[in-house]
Amino acid sequence: MKKFFALLKVSVKSMLLSSVSNSRGRGRKKAATGVGAIVLIAFLGLYMSGLYSTMLMQVLSPVHMEVLVFVFMGMAALVGGLLFTAFAVKGVVFGGKDNDLLLSMPVSATALMASRVTAIYFENLLFSVFVLGPAGAVCAFMTQSGVGHSVLFWVRLVVAVLALPLLDTALSVLFGALVAFLSARVSKGVLGQNIVMALYLVAVFWFAFNLSGMIEGLAANAAGVKESLSWAAPILWMADGIMGDWVKLLLFVLCCAVPFALVVFGLGRVYRKAVTAFAARSARSDYKLSAQSASGQKKALLLMECKRLFGIPMYFWNSCLGLIMLVAAGVAALVMQHDLRGFMAMVGDALPVMPLAALVMGFCLSMCVIAAPSISLEGKYLWILREAPVDEKSLLRLKTGFQLLFSVPCTLAAGVCLTIALELSAADGAVLLLAMLLFDLGHAAFGMLVGLAFPKLDAVNETVVVKQSLAVFLGMLVPMAALGLCALLYWLGGMVSAWAALALPLALLALCAAACVLILAKKGPAMLRAL
Amino acid sequence: MLRIEHYSKTYPGGKKAVDDLTLHVRPGEIYGFIGHNGAGKTTTLRACAGVMDFTEGTIAIDGHDVKKDPVGAKRVTAFLPDNPDLYEFMKGIDYLNFIADLYDIPGAQRTADIAQYGDAFELTGNLGSAIGSYSHGMRQKLALISAFIRRPRLLILDEPFVGLDPAASHIMKGYLADLCQSGSAVFFSTHVLEVAEKLCHQIAIIKDGRLVKCGPTEQLVGDSSLEDVFLELEGDK
Repeated sequence: MKKFFALLKVSVKSMLLSSVSNSRGRGRKKAATGVGAIVLIAFLGLYMSGLYSTMLMQVLSPVHMEVLVFVFMGMAALVGGLLFTAFAVKGVVFGGKDNDLLLSMPVSATALMASRVTAIYFENLLFSVFVLGPAGAVCAFMTQSGVGHSVLFWVRLVVAVLALPLLDTALSVLFGALVAFLSARVSKGVLGQNIVMALYLVAVFWFAFNLSGMIEGLAANAAGVKESLSWAAPILWMADGIMGDWVKLLLFVLCCAVPFALVVFGLGRVYRKAVTAFAARSARSDYKLSAQSASGQKKALLLMECKRLFGIPMYFWNSCLGLIMLVAAGVAALVMQHDLRGFMAMVGDALPVMPLAALVMGFCLSMCVIAAPSISLEGKYLWILREAPVDEKSLLRLKTGFQLLFSVPCTLAAGVCLTIALELSAADGAVLLLAMLLFDLGHAAFGMLVGLAFPKLDAVNETVVVKQSLAVFLGMLVPMAALGLCALLYWLGGMVSAWAALALPLALLALCAAACVLILAKKGPAMLRAL
Repeated sequence: MLRIEHYSKTYPGGKKAVDDLTLHVRPGEIYGFIGHNGAGKTTTLRACAGVMDFTEGTIAIDGHDVKKDPVGAKRVTAFLPDNPDLYEFMKGIDYLNFIADLYDIPGAQRTADIAQYGDAFELTGNLGSAIGSYSHGMRQKLALISAFIRRPRLLILDEPFVGLDPAASHIMKGYLADLCQSGSAVFFSTHVLEVAEKLCHQIAIIKDGRLVKCGPTEQLVGDSSLEDVFLELEGDK
C-alpha cells in the first residue's frame, strides 16, 4: 500500500504540474497559475451547473420531481467527465514516458496501473464535485419537500459524488485502451483513432441533443421522462439514493465500484503486456527511394504543422472540434432555415439575431486552439526549429497563420450560411463576418502569446499539452470572456443607439486583435528565444 | 571556420557554466572537445549552433556572427544534440525532406545524398516508416543523414558515438574525414578518448567551464595517451 501511495503521489503531482507552465518556471508563479486554472474551471463548472440546476428545479419542484435534477446533472457529470478524460487515458495511463523506469522497479504492475487510474479518477472527481455540488445546493434552497435541508441528504450526496467518477473512470480507461490498441495494431492507426473519436463524439452529441429534448418535455410529463430513462438505471438509482433511498444508493455505489475494480485489477494483471503491445511498432524495411522534389521553407514548415495536427488525433480533435461545430452549425442552419425563420417570427423583433449568431460563432471559434499548444507541442523537438535557418519572427508568424488557415475559411463558410439562413441584411452579414474575422485574428495571436508565456516543454506526452496545459485553458477561456465583454458592450451601446451597439463590440475586437498582433510581433521572438 | 572569442554563459541564479572561452576551429579540422560531466561542453556546442543564447563574448561561423546574423550562421551549420529527438509523427523520408527544404537543397541533390547516406547507414529501406517506430540507433542515423545532406561548412556534434553500432561509427568517421577534406570543419564533444585521440586534429579540454588545455592532438598527447593527459588535468591521477 505504501508503494501504491508513492506511485499515486507521482501520478497526481505529474497531473497537477501538467496544467501549469514549464517546470523551469519559478515555484510561486507555477503555483499561482495552477491554482488560477483550477479556479477558472471550478467557476465555469459551478456557474453552468448552478444555472441549469436552478432552471430544472423551477420546472420540477412544483411537480415534486426534484429527483430528475440529479438524474440530468448526474448524466451531465458522467458525459462531461468522459469527454474530459477519455482521450487523456491513452497518454496518461498507457503512454507515460516513465513507464520503462517505473515498470523496472520492484512495484507490481497492478499498483502502477491503479495509481495512474486513480489520478484519472481525481480528474473525474473534480467534474463530479463541480456539477453535482451546485445541484445539491439548489435542491437545499428550492425543494418543496425540504429534503435538501437534512444532514443525511448531504451525506448521501457526498457518497454519490465520490462514487460517480469511479464509473466515469472505468469507462474512460476502457475507451483509452481501445484507442491505444487501435493506434498500435491497425496499419492506419491514426485513421482508426480518428474514426473511433469521431464516432465517440457523434454519440456524445446525440446524447446531449436528446437530453435537451427530454428537458423540454419535462414540465408536461416529468414522470414519463423518468420512466423513459430506465436504460440509465444506475443514474436513476443515484438520484433516488440522493433523495433518500439508501438501498438504491448502495446499488449505485456497487454499479460504480465493481466496474472500476474490474478494470483496475483486470487490466492491471495484463498492464505490462498491454503497455508493451501498445508501444510496439516496428519499422518497415521495404521503402524504395524515388526522386524527391524540393519546396520552400514556408511550405515545409506548414506541411510539418499539418502532419502534426492530423498525425496526433488528440491534437486534431481537441483543436478542431470547435471548427467542426461551427461549420456543422452553419450547414444545419441552412438546412433547417424554415424552422429557424418560424422560430424567429414567433419571437419577434425582440431577438438580436445577428449578435446572437456572432456569439454562437465566437463560442465555437474559441474552442479552436491550434496556436496555443503549438510551442509546447514542439517540446523536445524545439531544437530542430532553433537550429534551422529560420528567424523567430517568421516562425511565429507561420504558426499563428496556421490557425488562421483553418479558422478563416470555416468562419467565412459558417458566416455566409448563417447570413442566408437567418435572412440577415447584407450590412449585417458584413458586420458579422468582419467581427468574426477580427476575432479569428486576435484569437490566433493571443493563443500564440499564451503558448509562449506558459510553455509546457517537458510534458510526458501530447495529451498533457493539448488537454491540460494552462496555455490551452487560457487560449480558450479568455476569448470566451472577451465575447462576454462584447455582449455587455452591445447591451450598453444599445442604450445609446443601434449604431453604438454594433460599433462598441467591433471596436473592442479590433483593439484586442491589434494589441495581440503587435505584442506578438514585438515581444514574441524574444520570448521564443528565452525558452 | 568557427571563432569563439571570450565566450561566457551564466545561468539565471548566477551559476557560470562557461567562463571566458576562446577557441578557433580552422577549415579542414576535426576538433575534439572533451571534459567531465557538467564541464560546459554541451552548453558551448548549443551556443555555437544558435540553439542557446549566451551572455558574453562572440561566436562566428564562417564569418557569420551567431548573434547578429543567426540565420546566416545556421545556414552553413549542422548540429546534432546528444539525444536527437526527431518528429515522431513524421516518416523518415518526410523528415529528411523537411530539413532539406529548410536548407533549400535542390531535389536532385537531396535525392542523390539521401540515397548515398541512407544506403551507407543501411536506413534507406526504413525511410518509409514513422520515426516513432525507429530504434534509438536508427534515429541517430537519421539525424546524421539529415546533417550530412546539408553539406555543412561546420558540423557540430554532441556525443555522436552514443547509440551507434560499430559499423555505423566507422562509416560516420569516414564521412567526417571526407567532410574535412572538402574544406568543412567538425567540432564535436565526446567521452570516448581513444576515438578523439585517433580522429581529431585538435583537442580542447574544458574543466568547470574554463578551457584548461588545447592544441594539436600530437602535441597535447605527447608520449602518453589522451586518457593520461585528461586525468592529469582533471586532477584524478
